[in-house]
Amino acid sequence: MTTREELTVRVTHTFTASPERVFDAWLQPELLAQWIFGHTGLQEEVVHLRTDPRVGGAFSFLVRRGNEDVDHVGHYLEIDRPRRLVFTWTVVPAPEEGSRVTIEITPRAGGCALTLTHEIPPAYAEWVKRTEEGWTKLVEALGRALAS
Amino acid sequence: MNINAPSATRLDRTLIALADPTRRAIVERLRGGGEVRVTALAGPFSISLNSVSKHIRVLEKAHLVRRRRAGREHFLSFDPEPLEAALLWIEAQKTAWTMRLDALDAALKAQDRAAAAPRKKGRSPR
Repeated sequence: MTTREELTVRVTHTFTASPERVFDAWLQPELLAQWIFGHTGLQEEVVHLRTDPRVGGAFSFLVRRGNEDVDHVGHYLEIDRPRRLVFTWTVVPAPEEGSRVTIEITPRAGGCALTLTHEIPPAYAEWVKRTEEGWTKLVEALGRALAS
Repeated sequence: MNINAPSATRLDRTLIALADPTRRAIVERLRGGGEVRVTALAGPFSISLNSVSKHIRVLEKAHLVRRRRAGREHFLSFDPEPLEAALLWIEAQKTAWTMRLDALDAALKAQDRAAAAPRKKGRSPR
């Protein structure tokens, strides 16, 4: 049986920096500029990084790849410094509904641990739910892909 | 690897195509492999050939079904590629976030080094 829990992208990382510094790196444009783009193997140039770090506030991370402008937009759903940050995440020009990203930070000796959970887009979740019975093999493959 | 817009758009098309039980049943019949005549495919369904044809067109647009014409006969076959693309999209997200967190880690360590450097410089030489 496939659970909702398996249908998310989850990544964890341990930092030697304080929870506050790791948390702030997600919201302050001058800090975001140091890491959010340019490290995924894509040729990209940052056009702007704009944030409005309050609940309901929006962000826009616009990058240029060749002749294409790709915007990463969303709004903040929860801001609980330095423990928890939740925001929607949509890549424009993709017409999909925004997916949701949750950042959880827990203090550790000498630093902190961060868990990032990227929930699949709602349409995808609905599809998996509907096809759970007839498409067992595919869903199992999906679970393996997510677990790897 | 393109991890963003085009694959997400295609994922949407795949999902919409598969969100209907009749279309899933069509895909299930074709998944066995090989080619099936449109008329043979429509046979077991209680809905009209015309309705089945509409569903087949949605699946074609999503590239889940291929159509080959031979004279007046139309043959259909299943193309698994969009489903594989859906799985790849998920894997690409995971890869992208992993790389971003590695980059964040490196940026924070670089800040630490930059903060430490002026103090060292400030010391009087031995």
